[in-house]
Amino acid sequence: MLAQITSLAFARPKRGRLSMAAALFNVLFISALGVSAAHARTLETAFGDVEIEGTPERVVTLYEGALDAAVAAGVKPLGAVTSRGGDNVARYIEAHLGDDRPAIMGVVREINIEAVLAQQPDLILAPAQLADEQYQLLSRIAPTVVPPTQPLAPDNWKAEARLYGEALNRQAAIDDAIAAVEQRAAEVSQTVDEAGVAGSTFLIRWMPGGPMVMSENLFSAGLLAQAGLDVQDAGLVGERGVHSDVLSLENLSQVDGDWLFLATLNEDGQAALESAKQSSAFTRLNVVQQERVVPVDGQLWTSANGPLAAQAILDEIEAALLP
Amino acid sequence: MLLLLTALVAVSLVSLLIGAGSVGPGRAIALLSGAQDSEAHFIVWELRAPRTLIGIVVGMALGVAGALLQAVARNPLAEPGLLGVSAGAAFAVALALVLGASAATLRISVAQLGALMGCVCVLSVARFRGVGNDPIRLVLAGAAFSGLLASLTSLILLYDQRAADEIRFWVIGSLAGRRLDDLLSVLPSMLVASIIVLLIARPLAALALGERVASGLGHHPNLIRWLVVACVALLVGAATAIAGPIAFVGLVVPFVARAFAGPDIRRTLWFCLPIGPLMVLSADIVSRVVVAPSELPLGVLTALCGAPVLIAVVRARRLPML
Repeated sequence: MLAQITSLAFARPKRGRLSMAAALFNVLFISALGVSAAHARTLETAFGDVEIEGTPERVVTLYEGALDAAVAAGVKPLGAVTSRGGDNVARYIEAHLGDDRPAIMGVVREINIEAVLAQQPDLILAPAQLADEQYQLLSRIAPTVVPPTQPLAPDNWKAEARLYGEALNRQAAIDDAIAAVEQRAAEVSQTVDEAGVAGSTFLIRWMPGGPMVMSENLFSAGLLAQAGLDVQDAGLVGERGVHSDVLSLENLSQVDGDWLFLATLNEDGQAALESAKQSSAFTRLNVVQQERVVPVDGQLWTSANGPLAAQAILDEIEAALLP
Repeated sequence: MLLLLTALVAVSLVSLLIGAGSVGPGRAIALLSGAQDSEAHFIVWELRAPRTLIGIVVGMALGVAGALLQAVARNPLAEPGLLGVSAGAAFAVALALVLGASAATLRISVAQLGALMGCVCVLSVARFRGVGNDPIRLVLAGAAFSGLLASLTSLILLYDQRAADEIRFWVIGSLAGRRLDDLLSVLPSMLVASIIVLLIARPLAALALGERVASGLGHHPNLIRWLVVACVALLVGAATAIAGPIAFVGLVVPFVARAFAGPDIRRTLWFCLPIGPLMVLSADIVSRVVVAPSELPLGVLTALCGAPVLIAVVRARRLPML
């Protein structure tokens, strides 16, 4: 076993014999684990078809959406990446994890391959934008599932969660989780509609020099829309971008809608709101004067993804709009 | 001088008229000539006027600090931004922020302390045998020192990403979103620095003639040097505390000022006063316009203007000795 791991660790792409040997070891290793299970399936991933057999036991997630989907499907991953701006997994998911926390595999853009290897996973759930070199290394450790890349869209998470669920052999659990989100969104939408508080909405992140407007294609923006709000980004965000550049304070009136969701990576959203309120350009907005600014947790709203995150966001939307 | 002052007034006016927002020169002029327009009133008087004032003060501080540092290092390339003085101030502030500081006054003294450390480090390098005689080697040493401090600042940024938004400002300077309160809180130290400059301008001019001449005229070269270093630290620290690190202003401004004023440091210092704000305000105006509706950080623009001047100075066959 040790020999196998070290051979993997030193395997580099384009070094034929060694990596071939590593891949061979790997296949043997996986098939040895999968003997008991019979259910084999072929997944369509960004890097072609990936064969997975049985129900993986040792799962490493390299994407917050994958961690969310796995936990929603009843799997506790051995490893996960940190939330953006944090040094651990997102706070909302900790509640679902109980006491056993996954080991940290780095941040989503800089995955620590050695940490992944140390977990000896039999399945790796990776983000859609995984780089080719990373895939080449990871796929030698275990079957690596990378969702086919699509342009940023608020509903991407559903297809991604279903793919992860299939890889985990827990399709039914994921379908239930997604259906539960849709049902909950419909409920929230109905209560928002009845209360008559719907209106134009912007989601921004506050920076000392001004705000960044988050894309209306963002996951959480999609949920705001499903809850009945009219989410806008004032055309400030490019097609592929997640957020705009820092907007000039002179243009702050462009984000003056009926609701303003103010995300911050700090735990204390109130502090971010206070810091924004030091700017007179912010306090003169109508939405601020009507106290319709909702400070939200950036870890959940601008970094997380998946059915559990969706439930948490819908809860926050309901609490904010219907006091 | 009159020409420069007129130009400064003109640029300040333009700075009130032009921005990244929807209030263009037309609306701004209408407002200034008495029209009722609350949106324009807010943008011109609450956003553009403070940043224009801050730009003027920062430009003066950095220009004078550059001229002083060049005189005392006897090196036309000695520039607070290039030599790591600004980087020292920014690093000190970033460190203080991570350690939990937030009060505005604390931030300024921390920035000035960092600037002082940067100054002392650079000048002690300048006194190494050989380095002081070769202006370019001093700049190289300063660039290495700046790079080290900038990487340490980035390290802090990585270590505490939650503070990252606040610290990012301290990697590259900007005038956007700065308030008049920030300016008021640095004014006392600016005043102290101005008084010191007035007192040491004469001895500094004597020092330019050589240490022996200065001593013979009854001045104390070492005391003068230390006072200059303290002055530079006060000025650069204060400027960095309100606008973040802004490079090259301290290089370009004295360079232009010498072209007007000749070699006398006293005249050069006076000429730095209008030229510094001219450069900072012009760069700031451009930074608002090029990527509207967003803004570029001011530090990017000053580097764009300043780098060619640095290359021109270095490429000149004979470096002017100070």
